[in-house]
Amino acid sequence: MSRDVHLYLSLIPEALIASMLTPEEFGIYYAVGTTKKARGQAMFFEVDPDFRHDYFRIEEGIDRCVPHEDGSPKASIYISVYRVLEHVALDAIKKLYLVTQDGRVLGLDPSDKLPEETTGLHLYQEIAPVNPLVVSSLGPKPFYELIVKNPNILIRLPAICFAQLRLGKLAEAPEHGNVGDLPYSRIEHLRQCLTELSTKTVDAKMVNRTEPATFPYRTIKSGIFVGNEADLLLFPFPKVEDLRTNHYRWWRSAWST
Amino acid sequence: MLEPQVWAAVALLAGLISVGVAVWLYRWVQRQDPGSERAQEVASWIREGARTYLRRLYLTLTLVALVMGLIIAIVFAFDIEHLGTEAVTLAPRRGFAMATAFVAGAICSAIAGYMGMSIAVEANVRSATAAQESLRDAFQVAFYAGSVMGLAMVGLAVVGMSGIYMLTGDPEIILGFSFGASALALLAKAGGGIYTKTADIAADLVGKVEIGIPEDDPRNPAVVADNVGDNVGDVAGMGADVFDSYVASTVAAMLLGTSLFIADPAAQVRHVLFPLMLCSLGILASLVGIRFVRVDKGGSPGRALNSGTIITCGVFAVLATALVLAGGYNLGLLWATLAGLVTGVVIGFTSDYYTSSRFRPVVETARVSGSGAAINIITGFSYGLVSIVPSIAGIVLATLLSFYLTELSGISGVYGVGISAVGMLSISGMIVSSDAYGPIVDNARGIAEMAGMSQDVIETTDVLDAAGNTAKAITKGFAISAAALTVLTLFAAYAEVVGARGIDLVISLRNPVVTAGVLLGSVAPPFFSALTMLSVTDNAFDMIEEVRRQFEERPGILAGTVAPDYAACVALAARGALASLVWPAFLAIALPLLVGFVLGPEALGGFLGGSIFTGVIFALLMSNAGGLWDNAKKYIESGHFGGSGSDAHKAGVVGDTVGDPFKDTAGPSLNTLITVMSLASSLFAPIIAAFHLF
Repeated sequence: MSRDVHLYLSLIPEALIASMLTPEEFGIYYAVGTTKKARGQAMFFEVDPDFRHDYFRIEEGIDRCVPHEDGSPKASIYISVYRVLEHVALDAIKKLYLVTQDGRVLGLDPSDKLPEETTGLHLYQEIAPVNPLVVSSLGPKPFYELIVKNPNILIRLPAICFAQLRLGKLAEAPEHGNVGDLPYSRIEHLRQCLTELSTKTVDAKMVNRTEPATFPYRTIKSGIFVGNEADLLLFPFPKVEDLRTNHYRWWRSAWST
Repeated sequence: MLEPQVWAAVALLAGLISVGVAVWLYRWVQRQDPGSERAQEVASWIREGARTYLRRLYLTLTLVALVMGLIIAIVFAFDIEHLGTEAVTLAPRRGFAMATAFVAGAICSAIAGYMGMSIAVEANVRSATAAQESLRDAFQVAFYAGSVMGLAMVGLAVVGMSGIYMLTGDPEIILGFSFGASALALLAKAGGGIYTKTADIAADLVGKVEIGIPEDDPRNPAVVADNVGDNVGDVAGMGADVFDSYVASTVAAMLLGTSLFIADPAAQVRHVLFPLMLCSLGILASLVGIRFVRVDKGGSPGRALNSGTIITCGVFAVLATALVLAGGYNLGLLWATLAGLVTGVVIGFTSDYYTSSRFRPVVETARVSGSGAAINIITGFSYGLVSIVPSIAGIVLATLLSFYLTELSGISGVYGVGISAVGMLSISGMIVSSDAYGPIVDNARGIAEMAGMSQDVIETTDVLDAAGNTAKAITKGFAISAAALTVLTLFAAYAEVVGARGIDLVISLRNPVVTAGVLLGSVAPPFFSALTMLSVTDNAFDMIEEVRRQFEERPGILAGTVAPDYAACVALAARGALASLVWPAFLAIALPLLVGFVLGPEALGGFLGGSIFTGVIFALLMSNAGGLWDNAKKYIESGHFGGSGSDAHKAGVVGDTVGDPFKDTAGPSLNTLITVMSLASSLFAPIIAAFHLF
């Protein structure tokens, strides 16, 4: 039985991959299904299989993506592992998949509607192409514009993928707000960074430059954003009640780790 | 006034009624819907694992019971009244009776444990299935199944004791029955504790910490062993533990009764039988209490269990008052009974204070966890030490009140202390029913998860499980306190038996052999704890390797395409637990006898004193600290101080893992250890009194 070849844009690590596996199968394989000791949380976009760009040798990758001798599907052919995000057009991105470290897969659809801007402070986990943890007084759209579109900024990125994370009571009261269920390390340092945002004339401040790109999914606030110089897309994160009701296995895995 | 044989027959009848109701409830639970094919398949893994372990355990115990029975038959075949003199004669009937009582005690304890565990592994899936309908139905199935254990336990104990008394009329023979029950309880409790924590630690460390899969996930190769462990540790083990305290306290009080009213044999017999009558009334009170345990719409399972306990206490208090007044007993005995009853319940609820997330100790331990595992452990350990104080104060109060209230009423104060222990344990039917409910709903939750039941069902079983954890904490506090009072009574009984052989037991620290005995006794509980906990770490290490191997060699397990080899982990846990029992068992039975025969009866008195004091303190510390660490972690997981995945949570997981063998292996086994050592000493006291080096 012939199987279609899919294209995936992995975010951890940043890579373009051809695979004969469906998104759910690929998510499981990527997180847990290999004897190579490379298991763990995974995030990837499903890319339109007809997408092509001169930067990538996609046809060659697809040609090599054939079943194994025993008939089992080829799980992955890496097409590129460098500067991938900036070369993928946003309209080629179909869905975002969040995979827990034990292989539960959740698919998210994109939305044109960005979240309403709110006052207070914000926390962003940059996922690709670099992954610092950043606090900012800017909402997601101005933050994206600052990083990607502002010609005056010294460090400018051609494209970015980031998650807006929950700050809970710290968004309004960084010094004394209750931490509640926010699992962030070095919470006092985070409080200090947030406080400095309100006392200094900067829009954003790096909290941790060595933060891993993975983070607990339960900390996602509005969703995951991906943008380049042309546009910004949001993959809204479902409400907890929706996850518990309709995606119980994923919710349980994501909330227990 | 009724004849003694009639009193004993009434007790026998009460015991038979209790067993009869247990059998009826057993069948009622079996008639409930066992659920979907998948749920039954998951339940069958747990059932088979539990039965395999118990078969191996009871086969081992049968051999131990037969060998020890033979030794007892030979030793007690001599006329112990004249041991050490040339007038010694053979008394084979007494030896046979003692050995038979010993084996009967072991068998009754085993039957109660097996009945409780058999129905627990039937009820878990039925409770999960009933949770699809309502919380009320699921609770009812689980609680009635727990009641099978509670009622079978007290019923068989009373049947055994009253039956032996009716046949022999000699409480010392019942001591053999008690020793048999305790010896089995020690092995069942310690073995179950080692089994359950071996599986729990391996499942958590590899599954949750290393791989990141949630609790009760069917992809974890150790998950079935973990669920089996809940049954063999908390149902069969805890049941056997309370069974042994229940019988030991009753027989110790009966023995002390033999020293009362020497000039009036009728009054003496009535006081020998008084503890047995209290047990019978406790059974009736428990039957009433169990009837009232129910969850109405919107009700809370925890409140239902507490209501049952309080109703049982109230009914028992009324019945005990009626017995004392109608039976012409001294009122001091009523005060002693009530002192024990109230103290037991209060101490149980005190344990809840130190282990519940509603109160400061757990919240504070969770709060400081953000500073790391070391601070979590220091804080939890410190609160564990503090938790000893109210329980010890309760035991002191019960001891002094019962002693002086009976003395002031003109009856031996020591007998009063024995009666307060019986009063405390009289409601064991209800207490064990609530306790056994815990692992059943814990399993029900696991089955709901593994069988892929809906989120609503899992949430219902979560609510049931939370009440089970509280009941478990209360039972542990109750069991330890009851064991403490029991061994104090046994200590008095030991002195009584030695005194009857012409030795005036003077336990003075100015006597070097007594000091030696105290010191040796003091190290026995910590040494025993170390042996059992090292067994857990050894066995857990093997199982961790097995779980890692399965994940490494078969990636399909995590992908959900290949089933794990559950049986391999079940077999490892069972083999490891049984192999680990040799030294702890030897320590419990041989050490006091060695001290007695070498250093003499006074040194053995000191040995028992030392072991009682450190045993009670270690048991309370380890049970409460372990429960506190467990709930501090759960409190963080419920969304406080950073929740799951935070630094506080990582520290909480370390504290919980340290506390696991504290609270479920070593701590609860110590009750049984000190009871077994006291019983072995009392049983062999006449022989030790005749033969000792110093």
